[in-house]
Amino acid sequence: MIKNYFKTAWRNISRHKAFSFLNIAGLAVGVASCILLFTVVKYELSYDSFQPNYQQIYHVVSQTKSPDGIAYTSGIPFPALDALRLDFPQAKTGAILSNYGSQVTVPSKNGVGKKFIEDKGFYFCDPEFFQVFHYDWLAGSPEELKNPNVTALTESTAAKYFGNWKNAIGQTLLLDNAVLVKVTAIIKDPPANTDFPLSVINSMATAKASNGKYFYDSTWHSTTSNFQVFMLLPKNVSESQVNKGLITFSNKHYNNDKKEQKLNFLEPLSDVHFDNRFENFGDHVTDRSSLWTLSLIALFILFMACINFINLSTAQAVNRSKEMGIRKVLGSNRRQLFRQVIGETFLIVCISVIIAIGIAALCLPYIKYIANIEGSISFLSGQIFLLILALIVVITLLAGIYPAFILSGFTPALALKNKITSATIGGISLRRGLVILQFSISQILIIGTIVAISQMSFVKNSDLGFNKEAVLVINANADSAMQARQPAFKQKLLQMNGVKDVSYSSDVPSSQNNWQTNFGFDHQPNPDFPLDVKFADEDYFKTFGLQMIAGRPFGQSDTINEVVVNETFARKLNIKKPEDIVGKEMRYGGRGEWKTIVGVVKDFKINSLKEDIKPLAIAERKNQYFVTAVKLNSTNILKTREAVESAWNEVFPEYAFTSNYFEDSINDFYRQDNQLALLYKIFALIAILISCLGLYGLVTFMALQRTKEIGVRKVLGASVQNIIYLFSKEFTVLVIIGFLIAVPVSWFMMNHWLDNFVYRTNFSPWIFVLAIVISMVIAWLAVGYKSVKAALANPVKSLRSE
Amino acid sequence: MVSLKNIFKWYNTGINRTFILKDISLDVEAGEFISIMGPSGSGKSTLLNVIGLLDEPNEGEYFFMGENVLALKEKKRSEIFKTHIGFVFQAYHLIDELTVYENIETPLIYQNIKTSERKSMVADILDRFQIVGKKDLFPSQLSGGQQQLVGIARALIVHPKLILADEPTGNLNSKQGAEIMQLFKELNEEGVTIIQVTHSEKNAEYGSRIIHLLDGRIDN
Repeated sequence: MIKNYFKTAWRNISRHKAFSFLNIAGLAVGVASCILLFTVVKYELSYDSFQPNYQQIYHVVSQTKSPDGIAYTSGIPFPALDALRLDFPQAKTGAILSNYGSQVTVPSKNGVGKKFIEDKGFYFCDPEFFQVFHYDWLAGSPEELKNPNVTALTESTAAKYFGNWKNAIGQTLLLDNAVLVKVTAIIKDPPANTDFPLSVINSMATAKASNGKYFYDSTWHSTTSNFQVFMLLPKNVSESQVNKGLITFSNKHYNNDKKEQKLNFLEPLSDVHFDNRFENFGDHVTDRSSLWTLSLIALFILFMACINFINLSTAQAVNRSKEMGIRKVLGSNRRQLFRQVIGETFLIVCISVIIAIGIAALCLPYIKYIANIEGSISFLSGQIFLLILALIVVITLLAGIYPAFILSGFTPALALKNKITSATIGGISLRRGLVILQFSISQILIIGTIVAISQMSFVKNSDLGFNKEAVLVINANADSAMQARQPAFKQKLLQMNGVKDVSYSSDVPSSQNNWQTNFGFDHQPNPDFPLDVKFADEDYFKTFGLQMIAGRPFGQSDTINEVVVNETFARKLNIKKPEDIVGKEMRYGGRGEWKTIVGVVKDFKINSLKEDIKPLAIAERKNQYFVTAVKLNSTNILKTREAVESAWNEVFPEYAFTSNYFEDSINDFYRQDNQLALLYKIFALIAILISCLGLYGLVTFMALQRTKEIGVRKVLGASVQNIIYLFSKEFTVLVIIGFLIAVPVSWFMMNHWLDNFVYRTNFSPWIFVLAIVISMVIAWLAVGYKSVKAALANPVKSLRSE
Repeated sequence: MVSLKNIFKWYNTGINRTFILKDISLDVEAGEFISIMGPSGSGKSTLLNVIGLLDEPNEGEYFFMGENVLALKEKKRSEIFKTHIGFVFQAYHLIDELTVYENIETPLIYQNIKTSERKSMVADILDRFQIVGKKDLFPSQLSGGQQQLVGIARALIVHPKLILADEPTGNLNSKQGAEIMQLFKELNEEGVTIIQVTHSEKNAEYGSRIIHLLDGRIDN
């Protein structure tokens, strides 16, 4: 009997090619989208879950409550590590310290050796870190990291330095032209889905012995997010127990007063990849809400594909009523027919899923690229297999039950007399409801996409307050050897035709790095907000096109006697006219030397547009010049860049040259948002496409059903326009109802999303107008062709066939 | 075999009640060949549908082989009619998606007969109707007479005690029609009870008894 069902099902599919195609295409695209989105979401959720103690590892983080609000940081002071070990002996506590952009030199007998810049993956760890986190040790053991000047490498990094990891053991490396270390251990490369992309792991003792070169500071005052501490709790100790203990701990060790309270608490490892209050060592923090959005879109798409299926199958039911009637007469009972229709649906779903797997396999590389997934992902995992099984079952039931119910319920006498029409099936209002639902979903997605695009272009085109074009940024070290040669290098560059300006600074105007301190102003008690600090030479303003609104940039000097502040600084201190602040004195920290404010710079964006502009002071300090910014002439940029590189290699042979364009790093800021926007765009488009397929199928059926009506109308004198109007009228109404549902929903959703940004585009009514115009055009296009064809048909023919 | 007692069938159209069948009482003995005649709209097909349990009367009693079928549960009723009644239609009503062979096989499938047994039963009947060569064709590839032959073969495959035929020759030319009627006659002689609805006096003559319907009543 099963065989017979499948045979009929297969022949039905192949006889009604157009409808089968619409059904299968819609479902396949929907399922493929689901599989791909699931793969992306699953990958993001898998970060560090390969750690055997994943559930028991916690990150010790800090928050500072002040009248200004709560500030979060992922680091804790260095001495807190030993204090934690003392106060929480039941836990294993390990520390990791990162340094971005360190240079590793592989010495050679002749010349300066091979130079490598480690943009990420350069760390200092103590042996306890590896009691918390598990890695496979190919050679050596974590215990070696007890001593200073030893290093463990990952397999691939060792191979990069020495050709083969087996050659690496016992070799020497020079870190940042200052520290010599010996390679004593090799670990297996960690998977890509980790927020700890280890490659060079030096012992923590090396950082301690480096005289502050690597942030190491024995006081409780300073905290850097480069130094992070992780705890492995035994099974019988809970997170809340330790958090309670940490309250006592914080009150004991920090000078908590009414104005400012500092508190350490635990962040589970399973939140490290998702909690955007805290930085991690990986390349991004994924907001859980964007994963939710993606999952929701996947569900939407699947849902729309199912709606299509139901719509098309019930519409088609009219054509199949005869077969159902005959089968009943031949002795089939309702349950058997029900099973048959469900079986057919199952077959179509299976075909669609197989095609979907093919589509997903083809699209996977693109999705990997768009979603910025570095690791190898495959969707042929057990979970995906389960997902596919679940999808098959759910779609079959969701899409099959209603049509099966309708088809198996025909009275045979009526069915055989061809008295079943779409009117007797009923469900017209149901089908209309489903179309309305589809249109509201696709319009929500259209509106969402337009808002996301306009926000992204708003961000891109908004005035950042500085000039980002044609600035080459070279990352440098700020050690004394380099400082001594920096003036010569600057002179050399300025002699080049293609170079306009050169500036040394601690940081570019806008970046994710921030250096905050408390400060004193005008010999008064310290103001109660922190100050952002940048160090730069006098050419900084010229190079980045920063505008002064009062006073002047500082002149050339060796100390930080002069300082430039931004508008927000003045405003926060309630100074109305920027000119009034010029000439006043300020100092960093509570004890530093007093400096004169010589100018006020127009506000520019210090962080990303998601954050507000903060008060800022810029001063000179030569040992902080990590960044060389070169403003290039816009012609011959490539050639100039080459010239800059060779000049660098001449002046600084022992330092590797790494550069990037400032504009690129600014764009990097919004990379994740842009990627998300792109994903939304693609999948919104797919959803719209699916609803179009469904609409087209539905109209085709209406045209078939109303052939006679159209014939009669034409005989009675209806024009082609009249007939087209007849068709489009109904769909126009459906689109408008869908629109009315979509507006409040998308308004709520997108406002919520825009709240993430401090600088946000306004939600103009034009977005809604655009959305309805787009959906109207799409609907009319889908309906138009078929209705014109129906309207042009010869009435004599259509009437004769009755 | 069939015993109808005071059968009424009506539709409610607005406030009026339109009667299709009015107080029909009819007894059919096993082995009879009955022809039901009457003008369009006289209720012939409805009467046939009621006898074949495709339609339920609004009032009255119906005994089939001694069982009060209207009082039976759906499952039991469908059991009776699956095994005892075969249908032949004016428009043949073959399933377009199935081949001749599969069309004939379908009723057996619904009776849960084993594949091997089905094969030999279908082979027998194909042989008897001399349509073995057409078994893999689809209905659309056959002439009207051939399609009706398949329709009858399909009705006979379950060895029914009763065949209900609704204008079996209505769509056929006179030669094809005569062949089909001859076939019915032979079947009747083998002991199958036949009730046919027909417009044609000539076809009605094949039967042993003619019942005239007029406006839903038996017209004597």
